[in-house]
Amino acid sequence: MIEYRNVTKSYGGKQVVKNLNLTIADGEFVVLIGPSGCGKTTTLKMLNRLIEMDSGEILINGKNVAEYNPEKLRRNIGYVIQQIGLFPNMTVEENICVVPKLLKWDKERMHKRVLELLELVGMTYEESGKKYPNEMSGGQQQRIGVLRALAAEPPIILMDEPFGALDPITRDSLQDEVKQLQKRLGITTIFVTHDMNEAIKMADRIVFMSGGEILQADTPEEMLRAPANDTVREFMGKHVAKTRMDDPALHCGDVMKKKVLTAESSKKTLECLELMSAREVDSLVVVDSARKYLGIVTIEALRERGEAGRPITELLDTSAPTVQVDEPAQQAFGKLLASKALNYVIVLDEQQRVVGIITRTSMSKALASVVWGVKK
Amino acid sequence: MTFQHFWDTYALMLGKAILTHLGYVFVAVSCGTVVAIILGVLLTRLPKMSKFIMPVLSVFQTIPGIVFIGILFIYIGMVPKTVLIALSIYAVFPVLKNTYAGIINVEDKYREAARGCGMSSWQIMFRVELPLAMPTIMTGIRMATVYTVSWAVLAAMIGQGGLGEFIYRGLGTNNNTLIIIGAIPAAIMAVLLGHGIDRLQKAVTPRGMRKED
Ligand SMILES: Nc1ncnc2c1ncn2[C@@H]1O[C@H](COP(=O)(O)OP(=O)(O)OP(=O)(O)O)[C@@H](O)[C@H]1O
Ligand SMILES: [Mg+2]
Repeated sequence: MIEYRNVTKSYGGKQVVKNLNLTIADGEFVVLIGPSGCGKTTTLKMLNRLIEMDSGEILINGKNVAEYNPEKLRRNIGYVIQQIGLFPNMTVEENICVVPKLLKWDKERMHKRVLELLELVGMTYEESGKKYPNEMSGGQQQRIGVLRALAAEPPIILMDEPFGALDPITRDSLQDEVKQLQKRLGITTIFVTHDMNEAIKMADRIVFMSGGEILQADTPEEMLRAPANDTVREFMGKHVAKTRMDDPALHCGDVMKKKVLTAESSKKTLECLELMSAREVDSLVVVDSARKYLGIVTIEALRERGEAGRPITELLDTSAPTVQVDEPAQQAFGKLLASKALNYVIVLDEQQRVVGIITRTSMSKALASVVWGVKK
Repeated sequence: MTFQHFWDTYALMLGKAILTHLGYVFVAVSCGTVVAIILGVLLTRLPKMSKFIMPVLSVFQTIPGIVFIGILFIYIGMVPKTVLIALSIYAVFPVLKNTYAGIINVEDKYREAARGCGMSSWQIMFRVELPLAMPTIMTGIRMATVYTVSWAVLAAMIGQGGLGEFIYRGLGTNNNTLIIIGAIPAAIMAVLLGHGIDRLQKAVTPRGMRKED
């Protein structure tokens, strides 16, 4: 566990990290995001003491980092930088072994580790082990950069915009690889970026910083759903909404949730109430025996006008927003955002049968999954 | 004067002069390089002082060699040591300058990465900064070598042999042939040694640091 407690850092009288508190669980993937100069790098580097804080403390598993020898501390924390920084005078193998060598591993163990690591990223020793960094593409180099950070099996890894300098396609595949590695190895990760797409794709939790403070720390979904304030919203909007909502290739059928809580029109008021309370929802989609859409029935309608034994067809609300399954998803998102009363849109097929619903959650998931290739 | 006559008269002397000359160059460049690299490394650890020291050193470098040998001669006398010390000091300047520049110009990303890996500042020096500065340092050594070949001519001024002996004798007796016998081997020596160092540099530079041709 990593705990930042009231951590503060100033440069020349200007506080660039202000009384920061943050707790990171073991194995968690935390992404620090925010506008340029908001203190992300400073926050990151205070953990491995490349930057010394002015006040406060950072604990790793309860032990204050200030109590470690800084060099020994860093050998136990992987570190990846945007400029990659593989040593040009060393081969891939030598680069990967930098930290193990500092830790005085024996030759055999180091070599075994190199083979193992290269395999993790789908490279072979025969092909790549003896290469020098300048003989590889930027993406390959940063793969090795990541392996160098992982080499001594650190429990924590820090990455400062590691993919910022790569082209979009390479970046995308490296994001997938790193995320998979991180999950598989269970490494606690702090990852800095100012790319919201990247943050949503990678993070267990996004920590949004601005002016040296944390404005919001939440799961990607929660952050999309409920930005804490206008600064966050604007940042999200800039990075998510505009770029992806209007993607015409995205259809309602692609993003909808297929499990819909429906009630046949023959159902009576009490049954519906029970169903609602059992599933903790506040409305039901009402269909006929052929699953054709009739309307919805809300908890309010039931409470105001419902009487035991009355058929729910008398309480139908037919003004709920609906979309066709083959319409662009943007339509659904628009209706969803415009709708005050209801927090979902009902998706119908050509025969007007209910095939799914689109909620805010499915919207944000869809944005991540369809657009960035994350598996649902 | 026939060539045969010439050869009989000067061959042995020329051979000896070349060896002496080479000896001066080798010892002076070796000592100078060791001192220069140590000083260069230390200076990079004292960036504030270096701001003043480096320009002063550059001024020193422009003092003519003849002045230096002259002064040392007064204190040490007419012995090879005088020549070696003077030449070594001269050899220090280019190597020192390039060592300092080579290390200072190592890109920060490598230092940052090295620090992040947990290297101490001396480990960074020996594993990262010095290897990356090596091409620049080698250029300095090459310069020092070529210069020293010509400065070593001054050894003859205080009677310490080398190719300068022919040149001084030729100047003294107005014998152009003698001057040429001294000057041409010196020129060839400078070119060959320079070339040799280039080859050496190519051989020891890791593939990853070679510039694309
Ligand atoms: N060594 C330094 N001396 C003075 N000011 C500094 C120093 N390092 C950082 N700063 C300032 O501290 C603030 C925070 O810097 P930091 O590098 O943490 O920002 P960041 O969030 O990583 O920004 P970016 O997205 O541009 O990388 C910035 O305003 C920066 O100018
Ligand atoms: Mg930064």
